Amino acid sequence: MSNGMGNRPRILAIDAGGTMTDTFIINERGEFVVGKAQTTPYDESIGFLNSARDALHYWGMGVEEAFSAMVSGIYSGTAMLNRLLERKGRTVGLIVTAGMEDYLRMERAIQTYLGYSYSDRLHIVTHHHNPPLVPRKRIFGVRERVDVFGKVAIPLYEHEARAAAEQLLAMGVDSIVVNFIYSFKNPAHEQRVREIAEEVMAAEGRQVPIYLSSELYPLRADFPRLNATLLEAYAAEPSREQLQRVRQVTRDHGARFDLRVMASHGGTISIDARELARTLISGPIGGVIGAKYLAERIGVHNVACTDIGGTSFDIALITDGEFQIKNVPDVARFLLNIPLVQIDSVGAGTGSFVRVNPGNRRIEIGPDSAGARVGMCYPEGGVDTVTITDCNVVLGYLNPDNFLGGEIKLDRQRAIAAVRQQIAEPLGLDVYAAASGVVELFEDSLKNNLLGRIIGKGYGPENYTLLSYGGGGPLHVGGYSAGLNFEDVLIPSWAPGFSAFGCACGDFEYRYDRSIDLPIFPGIDDATRMQLGNAINAAWDALADQVAAEFAKSGIPREQIRFKPAIRMQYYGQLNDLEFRSPVQRIEEPGDILQLVRAFEDLYAKIYYNAARTPQFGYLATRAIMTGSVDVEKPALPHRVETGPDPDPEAQVGMRDVYWKGSWISTPIFAMDRLHAGNRIVGPAIIEAPACTLVVPPDRWVWLDRNDIFHMRKV
Amino acid sequence: MTHYDKSTIADLVDGRLEWSQLKAMMSNFKDPDRFDKYIAVLQERVPWDDQILLPLGPHLFIVRKADGSIVTKSRSGYEFGDYRQNWKLKARIRVRDTDASLQELYPAMMHCTPGWMELREYIDPLDGTLLEVEAVPPGYPVVHSFQPDLETFYREWLGRSL
Repeated sequence: MSNGMGNRPRILAIDAGGTMTDTFIINERGEFVVGKAQTTPYDESIGFLNSARDALHYWGMGVEEAFSAMVSGIYSGTAMLNRLLERKGRTVGLIVTAGMEDYLRMERAIQTYLGYSYSDRLHIVTHHHNPPLVPRKRIFGVRERVDVFGKVAIPLYEHEARAAAEQLLAMGVDSIVVNFIYSFKNPAHEQRVREIAEEVMAAEGRQVPIYLSSELYPLRADFPRLNATLLEAYAAEPSREQLQRVRQVTRDHGARFDLRVMASHGGTISIDARELARTLISGPIGGVIGAKYLAERIGVHNVACTDIGGTSFDIALITDGEFQIKNVPDVARFLLNIPLVQIDSVGAGTGSFVRVNPGNRRIEIGPDSAGARVGMCYPEGGVDTVTITDCNVVLGYLNPDNFLGGEIKLDRQRAIAAVRQQIAEPLGLDVYAAASGVVELFEDSLKNNLLGRIIGKGYGPENYTLLSYGGGGPLHVGGYSAGLNFEDVLIPSWAPGFSAFGCACGDFEYRYDRSIDLPIFPGIDDATRMQLGNAINAAWDALADQVAAEFAKSGIPREQIRFKPAIRMQYYGQLNDLEFRSPVQRIEEPGDILQLVRAFEDLYAKIYYNAARTPQFGYLATRAIMTGSVDVEKPALPHRVETGPDPDPEAQVGMRDVYWKGSWISTPIFAMDRLHAGNRIVGPAIIEAPACTLVVPPDRWVWLDRNDIFHMRKV
Repeated sequence: MTHYDKSTIADLVDGRLEWSQLKAMMSNFKDPDRFDKYIAVLQERVPWDDQILLPLGPHLFIVRKADGSIVTKSRSGYEFGDYRQNWKLKARIRVRDTDASLQELYPAMMHCTPGWMELREYIDPLDGTLLEVEAVPPGYPVVHSFQPDLETFYREWLGRSL
């Protein structure tokens, strides 16, 4: 943080969470301020403005002065997700292929246990159906059928479409969604239904928007396509009004930038974008985007991103500078065909409850969590079960008087009493040994999950740089990285705000996908190869047009867009495919098809084994993907002058007894903001900042580099 | 320790709990005093004073009578005799072993073939409550479904004498 003169705010990142709205404002030197305010769900622009004011007062600046200097503003939030979870969306009417009226409610069975812990997935009585976004009475079947090749098998029964539209309008729907089987192969029937519905609306003098799955999410798999299209009508449209209000507030206060939203594919999009449901998940992927950006800037290729928050431990891998994309992710117990940055979440964070299983006397952590109610050490939280945070307080890792900058006072004695009663006594252990055992178990489980992900990719920890962020990351990084030979272990000093920072690092980028399903059999001749190539080019071109059309809404001409074609492929007959950047910009000659195939083979061997490759089956190009991006200003990394390895004497703010694996050691406490680049601190030590605590175990040391990033090493 | 108040258990018995409460109950460790609260809820709802020792179904219980004997007894008050005997032998029985009687319950073609399987309905002789249904091949003996070890349950699991 910084104060005084000469601040020119450049970038604004907003994270409107369920309870608090965070703003992250960065100047041209990479210095930043963080503001917080209560989220105002009825009109998010109010909370946003309060939060921005809170941030800017650290720089002694007014909102008008700051906004007019900014070049970029990025929004991420949970409003749409909450609208979905609380089922507070629009009154949508749905038209599907006749005979399929129930598949929304049947949820392909899998949605009855999505998002469950491992034990509950096996625990059948806990499975249950979700309240559907559209009740059965507003779902109409219309007779028609298109087959897998896009051929019309049964023509559209137009009078049924007309009757469905009439009845839906009579029911007072806000919007109509149309999702027919294989419409991504042949959208004619969906388009004709729209024409008919428009005639009906014209006749009745009432207009409601119509959403076609073949236009919004033209991808294979009917059920996720239906969900995604419904989401667009149900939750995304009303959220657009919120975003427009936030944009209006920035403009009213002098902003000249165009507000963008973080989207699930890892880029930012305009709030005017047609497919707004892509922004449903934006907050959590911010950290991965920030990690990718950081990796580019400091020149590392493989990064294991780890984020410990109050409720979960999130792992994402950046390999060769790219994060993975999940094809059919599940969000809030919905299967969606919206590409999402792959993040694996383990249901354990600092707020996770700790209990002793009365049956087998084992410690169990989570999967539920105290969240913002912290734990027993925070009496106002009203929690009656011990959490990981309680153990950290008991062991002296956390300073009870400096939690969230001292805003929340923690009661250490209460935590000790609770750990003794709930954990130590049932196990016949000393209270500190019990707390220490819990933390060790927690860190071991994080470590195993992390290791499993890396090994699953065919790599080892020595190929990766570990990046630790989130409020709880720095607290446990020493524990969950112990014994793994990472190339380096990085802890940015802005770890608690890293996700917001990451949102500001996102490219202005649109991504469009389309199912193509083109078989590439072995031994085909060049003419066939060129035919396939032309079909792929045509799909890429159509997607590029879509990308350009979206950028045009923000006034950006096509010449400025950097297009990156990608493709998904599999061996013929397989059920799953792999995604990769195309090695060629277009298929110009038969050999280019072979280049695509070779890139797929290489990737397949890397992820599985050389011996797993089966080229004799031929290939299927399943999906064409086009991303287009334009340059936007990104945050500068902090840049500080390096001084010697010894910290200033006043950087050490005290000593505290801390429990390290069985013994109490009087441990020096440092203030993070008093350390300088180049400083070296040997463990055991604790480095405190208002929103995070970096724990340096006895066998580790850290040094702070010029970019305000700590590096943790073994002694 | 997990703990619920008696009204939560009463709602559980009535099927009135919110799904979120029910899910939390299923996913958490079990509350050790559930049995006692459950029995207390049931005891308040039966029209007789004999002490319920173990519920066998929504309308059927093992109870201790004033004279100390332990019998199987239905909600309506019908006594089936010593709890170690199969109560079904003293119930009214209706056997569905014809197409016509089976199609009172199932659509045609979705019912069982009578020669292969029959339904036996065990009915409370006092008020006609359906207490249990067996689906068994014709000629199959009446099943003695549950022979609880009450002594051990009370002494070693609940930690008190019966």
